[in-house]
Amino acid sequence: MLYFVARRLVSALSVVLATLIATFALFFIAPTDPAAAICGERNCTQQRYEEITKNLHLDRPKVEQFADYTIGIFAGRDFTTSGVTQHCAAPCLGFSFKNDRPVTELIGSRFPVTLSLVLGYAVLVLTIGVFVGSMAAKRRGSLGDRALMTSTLVVSSVPYYIVALMVALYLTIVYPILPRGEWTPPSENFGKFIAGLLTPWLVLGIYNCTSYARYSRGSMVETLSEDYIRTARAKGLSDRVVTYKHALRSGLIPVVTIFGLDIAGSLGGAIFTERIFDLPGLGQLVLDSLNNYDLPVIMGTVLVASVIIVAMNFLVDIGYSLIDPRVRLS
Amino acid sequence: MSIGSPDSTVGVEEHPASAEPVRTAATPHGKSPSRIAFDRLRKDKVAVICASIVLFFILVAVLAPLLAKLEGQDISTFNTRQIDEFGYPTIGITPDHWFGIEPKTGRDNFARWVYGARPSLIIAFLATVVGTAIGVVMGLLAGFLGGWVDRVISWLIDFVLSLPFLLFAIALVPIVESLRGGSFNLTPEDQANIRFYVLIFVLAFFGWAGLARIIRGEVLSLREREFVLAAKAIGVPTWQVLFKELLPNLVAPIVISASLAVPAYVTAEAGLSFLGVGLVEPKPSWGQTIAVATNWYKADPLYLWLPVIGITALVLALALLGDAIRDAFDPKTRR
Repeated sequence: MLYFVARRLVSALSVVLATLIATFALFFIAPTDPAAAICGERNCTQQRYEEITKNLHLDRPKVEQFADYTIGIFAGRDFTTSGVTQHCAAPCLGFSFKNDRPVTELIGSRFPVTLSLVLGYAVLVLTIGVFVGSMAAKRRGSLGDRALMTSTLVVSSVPYYIVALMVALYLTIVYPILPRGEWTPPSENFGKFIAGLLTPWLVLGIYNCTSYARYSRGSMVETLSEDYIRTARAKGLSDRVVTYKHALRSGLIPVVTIFGLDIAGSLGGAIFTERIFDLPGLGQLVLDSLNNYDLPVIMGTVLVASVIIVAMNFLVDIGYSLIDPRVRLS
Repeated sequence: MSIGSPDSTVGVEEHPASAEPVRTAATPHGKSPSRIAFDRLRKDKVAVICASIVLFFILVAVLAPLLAKLEGQDISTFNTRQIDEFGYPTIGITPDHWFGIEPKTGRDNFARWVYGARPSLIIAFLATVVGTAIGVVMGLLAGFLGGWVDRVISWLIDFVLSLPFLLFAIALVPIVESLRGGSFNLTPEDQANIRFYVLIFVLAFFGWAGLARIIRGEVLSLREREFVLAAKAIGVPTWQVLFKELLPNLVAPIVISASLAVPAYVTAEAGLSFLGVGLVEPKPSWGQTIAVATNWYKADPLYLWLPVIGITALVLALALLGDAIRDAFDPKTRR
């Protein structure tokens, strides 16, 4: 087991390192003039341009710049803008010369929004998806099952942003059945916090539960035909106990794997939801940064999102091998 | 067969491409698996309807100049006379403007809609072709050669699959533009053209890995089969074994993966354009029109609904067709 964990850890770290190098190359080596790119092309003064060159040591070899960046992540570094020195504490992911603030701070201020969005979504999608999927599996082949599976296929074939946009425009503004999306910190007003996130949660949850329903249905159908389920039934256990206590447990394992990766992906990729429902999360930060060419912020967010995905991948693999020892051998 | 069949939850990778055709009395000898799949597809009502919808959009895209000429309008004329001082169009559907005109600019909606079908389809098909070609070659090499080649390619697959796709796509746009002198120094036409190629590159770059993993798995089991061993034994060169012996046995996973990739790419292209990182003016594109139209949806619903219906119908038809193709190739659902 220890060997397996170590091997997976090494491969996860190698992917993180490769992502770091790839992002660095993308942002510092690809552009012909990184200082100009980081400064932004609109209203970039000569003074700011020189400041950036000096701060990031852009006149020195690329390897040294990369070392600077990497050391900054672990030990922090200082940036000087307009004569003021700001310390960028570890993990320092660079400095936004547009906002005069370290990238880590900007990401930190937006992360709670995305996290609340994803957590609420996670609860909804798992409960609805698994419930619908196991109901369909129990009544396999019935009219309800077929109707349900056909509708999940159709719903999941319509692009997500179209569904979200139509709900946002028509169900929250034209016919205000659902509350409009907005962000209020939970510490400020908890009721408003819930109300503002309710519609995005519902849209995300109901749209994505279709694929969860299909996965859990498939895996439940398989589990329900296993011998131990027949044994449980033969013992005289009630239908509910057999389905929800015996079958659901092992039927859920593959669903949980997909769930882990989906959540990791959503933390960096709730961009459409944030854009459409006007939530100031990480995705919105990236889009704003794109509009004013704030490359360090985009770079930092890409790195954070990649690390989250790799870490989640690693955790899912470890968790899976704990549950199913066969995985360790392959 | 119906789209909600009990086996439609099964993933692509579980369908052995190498499966021998099931020879029952109903399927005469000599029919290739692809032939059988095609015959089944033709009998599938949903597949036929979806295929006709897709064909309709392809025709619209190909005949866009002709359709616009038929209406007598083009995509870039500003009909400012029919726009009031607040930017709202003063006319609705007229014999001159079949779908009305755009708010603010007064360009013809119908012409922009038919031309808008073009980038969606071209980008999706090109990205699918490039991504599939890379995926097949990488998968074949990794699976057949094994050893360090396999390790390198497998690591690359893991790496690509662990990158956040949307964020990387967004990040690539300003980088590529700054390579060409920054968006400020580019003419709108140049910028639109650059975005066009960036989109194809990004979609293909993230699209090959999934297929490569499937092909690799298939090849791992195929390469131990007698016909491959025999070919190797009589000294057939490696590339010939790969492309003449193995490739024909991989038709099913390749076709399935490609047919599921096209709707995904149409969705991604329109989505990125909606976010402002895809196609830009003056190229007409549905995703970008949706983004603009959200400001006018109350006064001019048609302006918003045209691209929405276009994308939804196209993606839905492509996705259901892809699903039907997967079922048709699946030996488990063969009756």
